[in-house]
Amino acid sequence: MRNASDPTSDSTSDPTSDSTSDPTSDPTVRTDAGSRGRAVLLAKGIGLLVLAAAVLSFPSLAPDAFILSVGVVIMSYAVLATSWNFVGGFTGYISLGHAAYSGLGAYATALLVIHTSLNPWVAMLLGGLLVAALAVPIGIASLRVRGASFVIVSIAMVLILLLVFQSWGEVTGGSNGLRVPRPFDESVLRPEQHERFFYLHVALLAVALLTWWAIDRSRFGTGLKAIREDEDKAQSLGVPTFNYKLVAFIVSAFFTALGGGMYALWFGFLDPIFQFSILVGSYMVLMSLLGGIRSLFGPLLGAVIVGYAVEFFKNQYGDTQFHLVAMGLLLGIVVLFMPDGIIPALSSLINRFSPQAASIREVSAGELAEQRRAAASEGKDLDATEAEPTDSLPEGAKR
Amino acid sequence: MTESAGSTATDTRIGLATEGLTKRYGGVTAVDGASVQFHHGKVNALIGPNGSGKTTFFNCVTGMIKPDSGRATYLGDDITGKASHRIARAGIGRSFQLCRIFPRMTVMENMLVAVRSTSLRHVLAPSRSAGELDRARELLARVGIDHLENSEARDISYGQQKLLELAGVLMADPETIMLDEPAGGVNPALIDRIASLVRDLNAEGKTFLIVEHNMELVMSLSDHVVVFDRGRQICEGPPSVVQNDPRVLEAYLGI
Repeated sequence: MRNASDPTSDSTSDPTSDSTSDPTSDPTVRTDAGSRGRAVLLAKGIGLLVLAAAVLSFPSLAPDAFILSVGVVIMSYAVLATSWNFVGGFTGYISLGHAAYSGLGAYATALLVIHTSLNPWVAMLLGGLLVAALAVPIGIASLRVRGASFVIVSIAMVLILLLVFQSWGEVTGGSNGLRVPRPFDESVLRPEQHERFFYLHVALLAVALLTWWAIDRSRFGTGLKAIREDEDKAQSLGVPTFNYKLVAFIVSAFFTALGGGMYALWFGFLDPIFQFSILVGSYMVLMSLLGGIRSLFGPLLGAVIVGYAVEFFKNQYGDTQFHLVAMGLLLGIVVLFMPDGIIPALSSLINRFSPQAASIREVSAGELAEQRRAAASEGKDLDATEAEPTDSLPEGAKR
Repeated sequence: MTESAGSTATDTRIGLATEGLTKRYGGVTAVDGASVQFHHGKVNALIGPNGSGKTTFFNCVTGMIKPDSGRATYLGDDITGKASHRIARAGIGRSFQLCRIFPRMTVMENMLVAVRSTSLRHVLAPSRSAGELDRARELLARVGIDHLENSEARDISYGQQKLLELAGVLMADPETIMLDEPAGGVNPALIDRIASLVRDLNAEGKTFLIVEHNMELVMSLSDHVVVFDRGRQICEGPPSVVQNDPRVLEAYLGI
C-alpha cells in the first residue's frame, strides 16, 4: 500500500512511536496549554500595566532633584541597552563599542542645534538618521567577522572616534568639551527639566521596546535569532543572513544615536572622553546580559539595577575606581550563575513551581479517568493514531 | 511530477550537475575535478570511502564554501559560488552531517526560520501566522514529532533532532533535498522511518541527493548511485550495477 500522496493520512501519523509521551496525555495537554496561554497573557498584561505605572509615577515619588536625575540617567541607560540589544540580543554579535553610536548621535544633535536653527527635537531625529546612514558602511565592514573579531572591531571603532573627536577641536570643542543649548526655556527650573527629560526618555524607550517587540514576532526576528544560534544553518534555510544582520545593526545604531542625542540635550555638555568610552559600551552589554538579552525587558531591568548601582557606588566612594570593581564582580556573578540573565532565571523558577508547566508529571487516578473521557470524545482519532505505526513500519521494511 | 521511485530511467532529466569542480585545502585536494550528474526527480546517492570528498563536494554545491574552479549547475542554471541562501531559494534544501538545529529555540521556532521569499511583506509578517503554524504542524506530524512543538530543540533526543532538521528543511519547500548521512547515529527503527519518508516525499516529486555510509539503506533506497574516491567520481549507475563494479570494490576494500 502506498498512501504517500495522501497528505491527510500522513498528518495524523502517530505522535506516540517515539516513546516520549503516552497517547492519553495529548488532548489534555492541549486544553491545558489553551487556558494556560490565556492566564499567561493576562499576567503579562497586568505586569505591563504595573511596570508602566511604576515607571511613570517615579518623578512624583522621587524625594529630591538628585534622585530624579539618577532616574533620568537610568532611563538613558535603559534606552541605550535596549538599543544595543537589537544587535546583541537578536543576532548574538556582541558589540563593546556601541558608545560610538551614542556619542555620534550626541555630537550630531549638539552640532546641529548649535550651527543651524533647527528645532532641537528635529535635530535629534536628524542626528539619528545621519548615524544610521553612517552605520551602513560600518556594518558592511564589521559584520563580515564573527565572535571575538567582531568585538575587537567594535572597540577599535570607538577608540578611533575618541581620537578624532578629541583632536578635531575647532568643530567638536576637543577635550574642552562642547556646551549644548537646552531645548527648554531658562525659566524651567532644574527639577522640572529632569522631570520632562525623564518622560521623554521613557517615551523613546517605549518606541524602542515596541520596535523590538515587533521585530521579535516577525519572520525577520525569527531569522535574526536563528543567526544567533547557527548562522550557516540559517543561511542554508534561505535566510539572507548578511542583510538581516545589517538591518538589525542599522536599527540598533539609530536608536542608540537617538539615546545619545537626548542625553546631550538633557546633560548640556559633551566631552569625547565620556561620550566615546569603552565603559559606556560595556555598561550596555552588562545591563543587557544581567537582565537577559533574549527578553524584551531584560536590558531595562539590567539598566535599573546597574544604573542604580553605578550611581550608588559613585556617590558612596567618590572618585575611587571601586564602582568598576563592583561592576566586574557583578558581571562575574551573572555569567557564572545566571548565564541567560535574571528574567529567564526567574521565569524558569516560576515554571518549576507551576504545576502545569512540568513536561513529565504524575497523574492521579481521577485525572487519568478525566483524560480518558476527553480522549473518548475525540474517539476515532486516537484509534487511528494507535493503528498507524504498525501500519507504516512494514511498508518501510518491505522494499 | 508524481512518478514513483521505481520507474525506469528512460525519462532522465539532469538536476544538479558539476563540471570539473575542485576544492583544495593547502596541499590537500578534497574535491578534484569532480564532474557529476544527478537525476532530477529521483533518489540519488553519493557514496565513497571516508575522506573521499563527499561532504566537501556537498558544501561546494550548496554554497557553504566556494570551489576553487569548476562549475555547478542546477537544472541548467549556473549556481557556482552563489551564497547558500540563494541556492536554498533556488530550490535546494540540505541537512548537515552532524545534525544542525537551533538549540535554544523551540521546535516550532526552528520550523519558522525557513525563508521562501525576500519580499518585504513576507519578511516582516508575523512568523506565527495561522497558515505558517498549520504548515509547520503538518510537517512535524509527518515526521512524527508534533507533540514536541513547545520543547526547546536542545532538550529533545538526537533522533528527534534529526527529524526536526528534516522537517525544518521541508518548511522551505525545496525541490531537491540533500541529506548528509541521514542514518548516522540513529537507531534502526528510525532509519526505517527516515527511509519511508524519503520514499514518500520522492513519490510526491522531491528529488533527493543522499550521502550515506549505510550500504543497505543506500542500495534499497536509491535509483542512481555515484561513487566518489579521492575527490572525483569513479563510477555511477543503478545500485545493482554499482554494487558489483570492481572499481568500487577496490576503492572500498583496497583490493
